[in-house]
Amino acid sequence: MPEIIVKPSNLKELWEMLPGLPASRRYLAGGTDIVTANNAGAESSVCWIDISGLPELAVIKETAGSLFIGSGVKISEIERSKAAARWCPALTAAIPHFASPSLRNMATLGGNAANSSPCADGVCALVAEGACALLALRGKKRRLPLKDLFLGPKRTALKKDEVILGFEIPKRPRAGAYLKLGPRAYFGISKAAVAVTAEISGGVVKRVCVALGSVAPVPLHAARTSAWLVNKKLSAETIAGASDLVKAEVSPITDARSGADYRREMCGVLLERALKSLAE
Amino acid sequence: MEKLSYVGKSLPRKDALIKVTGAAQYADDREFAGLLHAAAVRSPRPRIKILSISDTAARRVPGYVTLVTYKDIKGVNKWPVVLQDYPFLPEKEARFAGETVALVVAGTARAARKAAALVEVKYKELPFLEDPLKALEKGALKIYGKDNIFSSFVIKRGSVDEAFKKAAFTVEGEFSTNYQVHAYLETQGAIALPEAGGGMTVHSTTQCPFYVLDAVAAALGIPYHKVKILQTVTGGGFGGKEDVPALVASHAALCAAKTGRPVKLIYGRKEDFQSMSKRHPGWARVAYAADKNGKLTACRVKYVLDGGAYSTLSPIVLWRGTVHAAGPYKIANVDIKTYAAATNKVPCGAFRGFGQPQVCFAQESLIDELAEKVGMDPVQFRLRNILEPGDKTVTGQKLNSSCGLKEIIQTVRKRSGWDKKIGDRESGIGNQGDIVTGIGFSVTYYGVGLGAKGRYLDRAGALVNIYKDSSVGVNVGNTEMGQGALTVLAQIAAETLNAPYESVRVEEVDSSKVPDSGPTVASRTTLMSGNAIIEAATPIRERIFKTACDMLISMGAGASQKMTAHGGLFYMGGKTVDFKRVVAECWFRRHKMSEQGWYAAPRTTFKMEDGQGDAYVIYSYSADAAEVEVDLKTGVARVKKIWAAYDVGKIVNPRLAVAQAQGGLLQGMSWALYENLVYKNGIMVNPNFTDYVMATTADKPEYDITFIEKPYAEGPYKAKGMGEVPLIGVAPAVANAIKNACGARVNSVPLLPEKIWNELKKI
Repeated sequence: MPEIIVKPSNLKELWEMLPGLPASRRYLAGGTDIVTANNAGAESSVCWIDISGLPELAVIKETAGSLFIGSGVKISEIERSKAAARWCPALTAAIPHFASPSLRNMATLGGNAANSSPCADGVCALVAEGACALLALRGKKRRLPLKDLFLGPKRTALKKDEVILGFEIPKRPRAGAYLKLGPRAYFGISKAAVAVTAEISGGVVKRVCVALGSVAPVPLHAARTSAWLVNKKLSAETIAGASDLVKAEVSPITDARSGADYRREMCGVLLERALKSLAE
Repeated sequence: MEKLSYVGKSLPRKDALIKVTGAAQYADDREFAGLLHAAAVRSPRPRIKILSISDTAARRVPGYVTLVTYKDIKGVNKWPVVLQDYPFLPEKEARFAGETVALVVAGTARAARKAAALVEVKYKELPFLEDPLKALEKGALKIYGKDNIFSSFVIKRGSVDEAFKKAAFTVEGEFSTNYQVHAYLETQGAIALPEAGGGMTVHSTTQCPFYVLDAVAAALGIPYHKVKILQTVTGGGFGGKEDVPALVASHAALCAAKTGRPVKLIYGRKEDFQSMSKRHPGWARVAYAADKNGKLTACRVKYVLDGGAYSTLSPIVLWRGTVHAAGPYKIANVDIKTYAAATNKVPCGAFRGFGQPQVCFAQESLIDELAEKVGMDPVQFRLRNILEPGDKTVTGQKLNSSCGLKEIIQTVRKRSGWDKKIGDRESGIGNQGDIVTGIGFSVTYYGVGLGAKGRYLDRAGALVNIYKDSSVGVNVGNTEMGQGALTVLAQIAAETLNAPYESVRVEEVDSSKVPDSGPTVASRTTLMSGNAIIEAATPIRERIFKTACDMLISMGAGASQKMTAHGGLFYMGGKTVDFKRVVAECWFRRHKMSEQGWYAAPRTTFKMEDGQGDAYVIYSYSADAAEVEVDLKTGVARVKKIWAAYDVGKIVNPRLAVAQAQGGLLQGMSWALYENLVYKNGIMVNPNFTDYVMATTADKPEYDITFIEKPYAEGPYKAKGMGEVPLIGVAPAVANAIKNACGARVNSVPLLPEKIWNELKKI
């Protein structure tokens, strides 16, 4: 556990507070990753900054072209959001696979992204949604395609003290799917996961985004597979072709959770099943 | 038999209310004035030579009190378990990553943990052993004795080689199983309180308070009568609180003795994973032979358990596995050889099933393979070969009438719709697409109690004390750890005394109130403590019944009539008197209303030289059918339903018995499919619930549970024992179902999707 935990009540207070805090500090959002890391002896910051009370991060709002989901919104709130259900088909499909109901009451998408785990279910789905991350550091804001936020396991493009404000998801009618191969029926870290969103017209793929979890150092945007699928009829052959292609695009590892060969093969199986579900 | 008032009824659990309201006081809930906290300093590497231990940096932590090492041990630095190779604290060498090498005491738990992390252990790494099979090879590095063997047993019967030569059908296979973590909700912990005059009182979360007593007295070098062990409400055990709580409590006691203040030592989950006992990984090569009619003629087994760095309970676990290694079958020719090997990993010990599930997975998987070779239905094949009353086990033990194996097999066969389902599978009905279903069977037997290898510990005491207000206090030496002992034993006491169930309270164990009653293991508590309670209660019962009779006569009941007693009331000739009034009268007459009871298990004749003779006093039996779904593309298997039937003798509390069965089935299924503790280079990789995956309620199959109650004459109200029975046969039933569903025979537990997928690729 850290020596101190501070809890600013808004962003302004956060920026004012920062200079006075110990250099060894981390943000605490839902706490579901940081507390687990702490229990495992893998977290040693002196100070935790609890940002779960920041009102700026706690909103879901729609603009003309996009849906904004605040980084501090609890996963269970997204689960209940009609706007999210309408505009985020892959994320909506992913949420039942996201940890457990009790953890979903605590966890946030911001934490899911900042933790930068390649197996983050929420983030993998958001990448498939074509989301952008909105970031802020003191007065300065910037906007980054979410897929570019991740540099490697536990490494992000976030600068020190930079906060994820939320995620912007383009409002376009489309279908989506999220399939996860976990270690048990639910509540487990995926061995492989596939998120897809697609705009299909007359059986032809107009726009598609495939993302994969747990099979690369980052939540992977499968750019080549996605590009290959565009303007193709979603036939059995196309689906088989895409699932072959995606197996070459991933770079899974063997660890205590699963094996590289198996994971690679499962990317094909999951993508095939996900695309089939969209074709139906 | 007289109609029973309480035994055989689903009475509410005695401890339900305190547990669901959170009022129960587990070890960490106990507070004492002046309490200090201890934390362990652990070996970071699989095998080290300890050069020095320094607390220079730790001393700077506010609240730091002291460092405790082996030098602070006033008694003998040998933890008394079976072989006594485990020091309380190592002097020169630590033998597994996670072993406690010293303890730190501080004012708060947090300060203690912080200081422990700052204690500097200087060490030299030594070569280590990880693989138990390699440990048994001739040229292997020696870490225990001449051959790295903690223990070894044989069972020899008939002429095995000849039987294999003559056999019409033979099968042979190698099978392995991984660790299982007990995952009790409450981690290990103890509080030690120094008493004036050099005594020590220890509050311990434990299954075996008398093991704690042995260890604390030994570590402190003080006589037993100065040590008192009080079992706290125990949040789960499953075997994991058999031996190791004694080590944890001894460490707390050493800290308390050195500081002269109460010391609390509560384990975090990670250190509990890394250093506390586990189910042994097992490896077995099994071969069976059968004649042309499908009669088993011979069985050959080589069975190896990975004991870890110290022997702890390995000899006893191995012995139980040895006795049951051939399965519950009539086999004339048997050659079983078993070994517990030393490795530089966490010491393994007791876990529900105690050395049986590992070898049962091997032999019951192989029985299916043999049935297939013979061309028989696996259930028919088992029915042809199983033990029935009057038959002899592989140790030559003749079974008495309390053997319902045949009935339970028929029950499961019928209730599961086995014959139709197997027929459908053979004719290819029902399976289309990527998901296929299948069904698998297994049978087991389980020797209740400690048996021949533990016979000197197989006794139990009880103290039954009826207060003036007619409330009944019962003390026993066996523990409640979630399984329902307090409830079942209260039912037995109430039944014997004809006391209202509500008036009986069985307490958590206090080692000063009852004599050493052995461990709470081996599904022995109902049998042993139940019988001890009956022995204690019987003379009191006689006084109460005599007094009740006198009172009823004086109330006008005709003396010629027979008195009956039921549900706390006494009846005669239309008159009634209740338990409370009778007890008051007993006290008025100055009757002795408190008695000690004692029960010692009958003698066993088993000989270690050839493994022949009576191994256990009585056996319980199980049969399981599991229905699974397998995804042919991913290899993911899901258990849809388990039909199980048990003969565990008379059921004392049906609702608790069903709960025991459900818990055992789920724990067995979880081990079979999911639980995978991983070691890499002598270090445990996943000592946490994020990556050590267990079944959740979402994975829970549907259950269909039946009891066939074959009475055991020696048992309390004819009961045998059941705690461990439901777990043992689950893994092979699931593996056989997977084979039936998709053709993949996976011979290692857990039956992970990756393994099934690999086997499917070969088909």
